[in-house]
Amino acid sequence: MTKKVLYALGGLALLVGLWGFYDRFVNGHQNMAYGSYVVWGLWVAMYLFFVGISAGAFMLATLDYLFEIPLFKGTGKAALWGALVTLPAGLVSIGLDLGHLERIWKVYLQPNPLSVMAQMVWGYTIFGLIALVALVLAIRQPKHAAMKILMIVGLFLAVFLSGGVGALLGVNAGRTYWHVGLLPAQFPVFSLASGAALMLVIIGLFGPAPAGDPSALPVVAGQAERRSQQLWVLGLLTVVLGLVKVYFLWADFSQSLYGGIPQNVQAVNEVMFGRYWWAFWILQIGLGTIIPVIVLVQPKLAKHNGWAGWMGVLVLTGFAVARANIVFPALTVPELEALRTAFTGPHLSYDYFPSLVEWAVTLGIIGGATLVFLLGTDRLPIFTAKTEVTK
Amino acid sequence: MDKAPTQANLSRRDFLKSAGAAVAFLTTLEANPAAALTGAPARVSLAPLSFEVGPGDDVILRMQAELQRALAKPVDQRRWVMVIDLRKCVACHACTIACIAENKLPPGVVYRPVLDEEIGAYPNVTRKFLPKPCMQCENPPCVPVCPVSATYKDENGVVVIDYDQCIGCRYCITACPYASRTFDFGSTYTEGTPIAEGLVVGQTTADDYERAANFEYQEATARTGKDESPIGNVRKCHFCLHRLAEGMLPACTTTCIGRATFFGDANDPDSVVADLIASPNVMRLKEELGTEPRVYYLV
Repeated sequence: MTKKVLYALGGLALLVGLWGFYDRFVNGHQNMAYGSYVVWGLWVAMYLFFVGISAGAFMLATLDYLFEIPLFKGTGKAALWGALVTLPAGLVSIGLDLGHLERIWKVYLQPNPLSVMAQMVWGYTIFGLIALVALVLAIRQPKHAAMKILMIVGLFLAVFLSGGVGALLGVNAGRTYWHVGLLPAQFPVFSLASGAALMLVIIGLFGPAPAGDPSALPVVAGQAERRSQQLWVLGLLTVVLGLVKVYFLWADFSQSLYGGIPQNVQAVNEVMFGRYWWAFWILQIGLGTIIPVIVLVQPKLAKHNGWAGWMGVLVLTGFAVARANIVFPALTVPELEALRTAFTGPHLSYDYFPSLVEWAVTLGIIGGATLVFLLGTDRLPIFTAKTEVTK
Repeated sequence: MDKAPTQANLSRRDFLKSAGAAVAFLTTLEANPAAALTGAPARVSLAPLSFEVGPGDDVILRMQAELQRALAKPVDQRRWVMVIDLRKCVACHACTIACIAENKLPPGVVYRPVLDEEIGAYPNVTRKFLPKPCMQCENPPCVPVCPVSATYKDENGVVVIDYDQCIGCRYCITACPYASRTFDFGSTYTEGTPIAEGLVVGQTTADDYERAANFEYQEATARTGKDESPIGNVRKCHFCLHRLAEGMLPACTTTCIGRATFFGDANDPDSVVADLIASPNVMRLKEELGTEPRVYYLV
């Protein structure tokens, strides 16, 4: 039932997205709310969000294929599939944000190797290829000798690319809100936390049905029985990482406010008490952190498929808002205060709220990713062992 | 020293030749305005301008003469700097307008805004104006972040953008601490304006003008398409390199009615700018970032 509803919602979101894609390709960037001051908007935030999930999901796949932890046996393919679906979603999001998408080949053939952005493009391309090959191997030859090497390289890339995304923002010394040494250190933690939340969704809502269920496919031996235990451990991991995330926020915000550098204080105030205070307090902290923590520390609820799965959805929603709260506030603070009124024109504003086209495209990407993911769970042996399926 | 021809001593023959060329251009314009405006050659070259300057002459003339002197030097021995005397700026915005006209900037793209700040509380209020071109930093933070090296310091030390290389990621905008870069979203002034018949009025004619080549970086870059460069690119002040190459001062400098903007070669000890940046009342924006701007302010 959940799957059917998600298929319908995903299809609907994709339909809305098609209008957004059409507008983007016909009118370019003219109907976007981002501009020359708030230069990166919703799509960049969603890029950070999706690639973070992708890296985190890959990290969790290593529990099965690299560290061979018995509890997580049989979850690796689902994690790799999650990583493979969310990575392109992030890349589409950032690709549409480019002024000249058709020149993307230049980053491969004429790159500036010292640019963090070029490093990210190269890194995520290699990472995506590794995840793809790893999934193919996991389905066809899970015991292949190359699997472990792929997992080691992929894990290394997942951690460093996550940190690299933090560095992408952090190297901007003129933006004090971003220019903190802690930023590249925070992002791998965010990635792992969002990967754990994704796995809660996958195992909780789409995981293997228990033995005896007539719809159950033959799965990796004992996997269905381990499901509730997996949810419990992933739930605890989400809780711990959620608390670490809150600590990072506290360290960051309290230090900024205490330090009193005007640009930094303005950005922090914008997040907590600005026009979109509700996004921070209600979505990021309330729905995305406090409620999941309360639910997931209770063994009975945390082991319940539905509860755990929907808590994963809430945590991911909180992360999406958190990413936006990292990107936008730093840009809504003028580099020089009088710039606000110095020159007027389209796309010259320090206020930002995504336009309809931006929302539509984002919805389309989420819808598309949801559909592809669901199709994968239906068509690919994500929770099943190949040998058992072919019997 | 030979006396170079100036606008003041044009011969009648020169005048008639110029007038003939102008008539020919207008004839083409009437037949096909777009072709006349956008079909300009990729490079144009003007006769070198030179002036004899004496005591009491306008500082613009002096800077013009210094420019000729600097251009005669090897490029690596020049150091272009701009000095803006904030005490003389009256916030007329002539520099902003001149820049827009010179570079045919579309709506939302600005190279030289003038910041207007009110200081104090009534009745003790004053206003401060700050014209803000690109700082042309010695250590530009915008350069290393570009993923395809589309923005770089050219041989003049001026930070430029290769429009055909730029992928429009806008990373350089986030890296610039001075907000000196804007993105060309493809807007036009004529969008939504009335259409009328005629040579000089109406949307079509005006739109042709808007899309005409602007000669930035000495290239005829017309905004012909919906998504062709420079649309979809980041754009910025380049000290009017195309004018410098022809021996002309940047548009903002020549149009400053208060003579608050100075431009020249700081490596020339006899230049106006070399004198001014040696003043004790000189400052640069956000010096603490170590960007070493080439734009100096007198306060």
